[in-house]
Amino acid sequence: MSNVLRPYLAAVRSTLTAALTLENFSSQVVERHNKPEVETGTSKEVLLNPLTISRNENERVLIEPSVNSIRLSIKIKQADEIERILCHKFTRFMMQRAESFIVLRRKPVQGYDISFLITNTHTETMLKHKIVDFIIQFMEEVDKEISEMKLSLNARARIVAESYLTAFNT
Amino acid sequence: MDTAFRKIDIDIYDEDTLQESELYDADPRDPAQVLDDAKQRQAAVRSSLAKGDIGEALSITLDNAPYGPGVDAAKEITLQTLLTILNSTKSTEITGIIKTLSQDSQDTLMKYLYKGMGMPGWGDISGSVLLGWHEKLTEVAGTGSIVRAMTDRRTV
Repeated sequence: MSNVLRPYLAAVRSTLTAALTLENFSSQVVERHNKPEVETGTSKEVLLNPLTISRNENERVLIEPSVNSIRLSIKIKQADEIERILCHKFTRFMMQRAESFIVLRRKPVQGYDISFLITNTHTETMLKHKIVDFIIQFMEEVDKEISEMKLSLNARARIVAESYLTAFNT
Repeated sequence: MDTAFRKIDIDIYDEDTLQESELYDADPRDPAQVLDDAKQRQAAVRSSLAKGDIGEALSITLDNAPYGPGVDAAKEITLQTLLTILNSTKSTEITGIIKTLSQDSQDTLMKYLYKGMGMPGWGDISGSVLLGWHEKLTEVAGTGSIVRAMTDRRTV
């Protein structure tokens, strides 16, 4: 892990650990319903203060805790137009396969690139520290992945341009 | 047909509904007085910063910090004052200073750190300063401090 990223990820890790104290909680508004309170937002006494952790304006994490679910949204670093396109394609690819990731949300929260919804069922069936590890690992990997894709895209574009232009070189 | 009426929240007219103000005890002070307090504290903090006493400056700011609705100006001033203090602290001294604070002040500091990071275009402070403080505060005060920042309705 790079040294500049470490305090950011440490802050996300400790906040997420603090937020992941969930319990089973049935809806107070509709009888016999049990929904993630952070999504329905119908009873405000079970919603806690949302917390933001940010490295700079383009890289931040929003954690919205509630009694039985938390929503974690990530804004991924996008320095230029290529990174923006790559990031959009990448997150879209994953969000279309959201069931395989279990905690992934199908749509990001407004202003963010990708969102996770962790409910009490997830913390009961899976190990809490593993969920935290997964999110942190995801955040580490996604930056690396996007910059790698950008490099290979540029290399590919160069090869294509070279082989195309050799036709005019003779 | 007009269907906008379906979106009206009729539950708020129920007598039993919980109001925002019932979630916590309101600040007994008058908004104007809170603003005055904040300005006085800002001056006091400046003088103790000039003396180089950062621990004292921090505890002045964090005691009786403004909370609740209607005191946005005072909150803004307090946040600015706090950010100045945080910016002018050497990173090696942070842990020592945090240890001298009371638990309540530590929790308030945690709230302000999150508030500072949540600001859209947070002025002249860099994120690494706040993240550094956050890390050291978590080391001293533990995860409980974050939980208290999350659950306390008296938002700063």
